[in-house]
Formats: sequence, structure tokens, C-alpha cells
Amino acid sequence: MLVYMNLQEHLAKIRAFYRSHKRMPSYSELTAVVGFRSTNAAYKLATRLMDQGWLEKDAAGKLLPGPHFHTVPVLGTVTAGFPSPAEEELADTMSLDEYLITNKEATYILKVNGESMMGAGILPGDMLLVERGAEPRDSDIVIAQVDREWTIKFFRKRGRMVFLEAAHQDFKPIYPTEELKIAAVVRAVIRKYT
Amino acid sequence: MEPLTLSTFPRAIVHIDGDAFFASCEQSRRPKLQGRPVVTGKERGIAASMSYEAKARGVVRGMRIAEIRKVCPEAVILPSDYETYSLLSKRFFAIVRRYTPDVEEYSIDECFADLTGLRRPLRMNYFEIAARIKKELDAELGFTFSVGLAPNKVVAKIASKWVKPSGLTAIPGKELHRYLAKLPVEKVWGIGPNTTAFLQKHDIRTALEFARASEDWVKKFLSKPFFHIWQELNGQYVFELAIGEHETYYTIQKVKTFRPASSDRAFVLAQLAKNIENACIKIRKHKLAAQRVVIFLRTQEFRDFGLEVELSGPTQFPNDILHAVTPAFENLFDSSAAYRASGVILLKLTEAYYGQLDLFGEAIRMQRLSNLYESVDTLREKYGKHTVFLGASFLAHKSAQHDGERGHLPERRRELLPGETARKRLGIPMFMGEVQ
Repeated sequence: MLVYMNLQEHLAKIRAFYRSHKRMPSYSELTAVVGFRSTNAAYKLATRLMDQGWLEKDAAGKLLPGPHFHTVPVLGTVTAGFPSPAEEELADTMSLDEYLITNKEATYILKVNGESMMGAGILPGDMLLVERGAEPRDSDIVIAQVDREWTIKFFRKRGRMVFLEAAHQDFKPIYPTEELKIAAVVRAVIRKYT
Repeated sequence: MEPLTLSTFPRAIVHIDGDAFFASCEQSRRPKLQGRPVVTGKERGIAASMSYEAKARGVVRGMRIAEIRKVCPEAVILPSDYETYSLLSKRFFAIVRRYTPDVEEYSIDECFADLTGLRRPLRMNYFEIAARIKKELDAELGFTFSVGLAPNKVVAKIASKWVKPSGLTAIPGKELHRYLAKLPVEKVWGIGPNTTAFLQKHDIRTALEFARASEDWVKKFLSKPFFHIWQELNGQYVFELAIGEHETYYTIQKVKTFRPASSDRAFVLAQLAKNIENACIKIRKHKLAAQRVVIFLRTQEFRDFGLEVELSGPTQFPNDILHAVTPAFENLFDSSAAYRASGVILLKLTEAYYGQLDLFGEAIRMQRLSNLYESVDTLREKYGKHTVFLGASFLAHKSAQHDGERGHLPERRRELLPGETARKRLGIPMFMGEVQ
């Protein structure tokens, strides 16, 4: 989604790309550079930047630096000394939410009851941030659906065979008889002490 | 058969509908419920949403709990968890917005989106884009959506209903007539029983027969909205999408059921006062003010009694509204009746502005109220809803909204995470049940 407030922030990233690559990004590179998920959003951003003279495009539709591209943004009025660092410096920090959550729309929380993952440092009462619908890779910790219950285990892939493995000697690996239903991939563990 | 139009997608509009949305939200977070008949709405005593398993056994929307237990004894009947449904609804729209900013949030479980012009930047055709959106919704929310792709809103609605649940139907303009021929005209969005009866008198039974009626005839016998529907059935794009998150409120409404039903005057008034407070929280959030108020009481027999009250000036504060509607309440309340719900509707909304000076100190009073409620809202943001409330609604806060509240409280509100309180919880949907 386009956040218009961040126009200057996006522009800064495009400038950084230009400095390191000595050329302007393509639309798909632009999508990655500004951290959008859809090319369409990047396209809209570019259109907006073109309207304001930051960017231009050539006859083939490729992006070019516009007349204002190399100008330095004004950071606010400076009466004396250095400008307040807040704006520039804090642009490169992230919130705990952003740090822990990659795909916001697919992230769910749950509370662990069992001890089967103690060997992996996941204790009863811990909270997990899990990403629904993500493709599990070998050795990911996953939330699977077994016998109409959630279960948390290591996802193991040996060639074409997949199975679930606990991090506790009392639990045997689970070999699926039919289809293995992986609901989500664990992305973070939260243990809150009050 | 002659097509209605020769183009395919002059505009590409999708309508996306969550399948049995509330019941699906419940099933997707609790594997125990999957494949079982699930009904939500326990706290209201009637079915608000039912899973496809429950629909198959004859449970319909609005059915009383007692009757549900008769037709489907194995049904799992749950209290509604609107907090979770709203969180998932927001995610639904956010996922669609990954592809296009032009999204109309039509209701909590449906939206329209305009995909026109996205084929080149996304390097996919419209059907592929619609399929991709559906795939992400199904995977990330954990239940299915039905998607219809068409040249306009009216036809997109037809398309999303064509195959349900989990359908993906594209109706290009030049194929439109084939679908409309099979569709009874009353199934078209916006055509009600009266219009259907009128059309039948003129031998119009299918949507195609209506679409083939002459423009002059439609203009002569039907009002403008039906002419627009007729145009859309012919493949034209008429109804614009109302884009942006819900921002324009024409009315604000708050209704709450309480159990058991009550004949206690003070208690019913307290319930009404609580609704007024809630409505005012919403109206202040949107920086609006109401000029007119409707209050109503619902008896145990499901009969509604209401009255409309004009306010002396636009306001956004419960003190003013409660004061103005109390005489109307006295009028409505019948001590021989038992009431099960109360409600308030705020009407004639305008932008909140108290700049006008007057002779009687009204402006100063408003400024004071405004300061007071600024503090109330700050407290609410910090400590949760109803941290401070009007004395008039005390009785409604003292007891639980429903008798045996624990049984009617959504599980998410009983199973708090460390650091969460009854008033504030993490804004992330939770997987429920034991995790071994």
C-alpha cells in the first residue's frame, strides 16, 4: 500500500540505489528497494514522484532521474548548530512489531501447552508468533494439525518424505499417514516475565 | 444466442466474499471445529453466521438457539467474537490492497476491487490476478473466499455467488448473456420483491430477459437505480467503487442484547445509556456530531418500539443525548413488558464544530464538555473502554451483559495472555485450543 507521507523516505532509498548501481532501478527492482509487495504500488509511487519532478521516464518507459532528483531535501529550519538528528537517524530504526513480524496479514499468536519442544527452548506458557500459509522448509518449527489438535514440532524433509519431530526424547516422530496439514511456520518465541 | 456486448473486460471489477465469514473465523483458529456444524451468535440467542456444515443441516440465519438444537443437535454454538472477526476483516482488505489501492470495503466480509490496468505491471491477466488474490486470502486467513470477476459491480456480485464456497468465476462481457439466461431476475443485486413482482407482470423472469428489455421501456417504467442496474447487466460500468476505509457514516448505530430479559426500568435505561455512550465514542472518533437521535427497545417477543428525538444542536456527548431522550424513554417504557435489547441510532451527522457564539453560554458549556470528553477519551485509550462512564449506565456495567457471562464470553476474552487485561488485548488473532 502506498503511504504518501513517506515519499522522501522512498526517494532516499532510490537515491541510494542510484549511487551504488550508477543507474536507476527497473519497476521490479523499485518494488524491492522501497519494500513494497506489489509492482503496481511501485508504479503508482513512481508516477507520483514523476508528477513532482523527482523522476522522469525515457521513451521506452524506463525510469530516469528527474530535475529535482539530486537536490538535497530540506530538513526543517536550522537556527544554530546541527539540525535535529531525529528525522534522518530514526528513519533506519524499526519497531519491535516490524522486527518480529514479516507478513503482518498472515501472522497469528498462540500459547504453548506441551513440553515436546523443550529441547528447542520452547517452554509451556511461551507465546509464538506464527505465519499462516507459509511454505515450510526443512528444520523449520511448524504448527501442524494432527488429530484435530494443533501441534508444534520440527518439520523434517528427507528427499520426498516429510515428518514431524519433537525436541524431547519422550516423543516419537510423527509420520503422516495421509496428507500432512501444516497450518503455519513459527517465526518468533515470546516469553514475558511480569 | 446473441451476446449483450462484444467486449470482455473494459473494466475489471472483482467482488470477494468470505465464505460463512464468522463461522469460518472460528473454524480456522480451532481445528476441533473443522468439518463440524458451527454457529455463532450464542450471546444474542440467534444464529448470526453458520458454517456450511450447519447450513447443510438446515440452520438458517436468525434461527433461535432452541430451534438450532432441534434441527442440528450436534451443532457447536459459540458466542460472537467481533474483535477477532474485525481483525481478520482488516487483514482481508489489506491483502486485496496488495494488488490495488482501489478497494471498496462493502461490509465486514465482502469487498469490491478495481483491477483495471493492472495486467501490464503485474504481468498477469485479470483472471490470474483474481486467482492470486484468492490464493493469498485462503492461505493467510485459513479459510476460503469466493471471487467474482466482471466488467462491473452488479455482474461481479453475480459472479462471486455463481460458485460458492471457494468459487472463482469470471464473467467477461461477451459471455454475460449465458450467465444471465440462467439467473432468476430477483437474484440480481438491488432487485427486491416488489420490482420482481412488477417485472413478472411483464413476463420478465430471468436477468437476461430484463437486460434485453428496451432502454425506453426501462426508463419509462422503472426508477433511475433500476436503469443503472439494467445498464450494468448489459455490460456497462456505472456504479463507482466507494474507495477508502470506511469513513463516511450516514448514521451511527449501537444495539445490545441483554439476558435475561428485564422489566426493571432503571436497568433498561442504564442499558440504553451504555449504548448512547458507545455511539458517542464512535461519533467522536469520526469527529462528527448528531442532530437527531432514535432510541428503541426490543421486547422478549422481538417487537421493536422506537421514538425519534430532535436535539437542540449538534452534539457528540452522551450527557446531552441522554438528557434529550429520557422523556422519550419514559414514553416508550412499559413496565408490564420484558425487554431483551435496547438501541440508539444517531442521525443527521455533521462535522463537529462548536465555533458559534451565543447569548446563553452554550458555547462555553460545549467547550467544557469537549474538554471533559477529551480526558475521557484519553483515559479510554490508555486503560480501555468504559474506564469512566456515566452514572446513568452504572447498572449496565455492574452486571455482566448476559446472564452466565463466562459461557457467553468469547474464548479469546477468557484466555488472556500474560500482560493482557479484560479491557485490552493484543491486536493479533490467536490460534485456540491446546498446542502440544
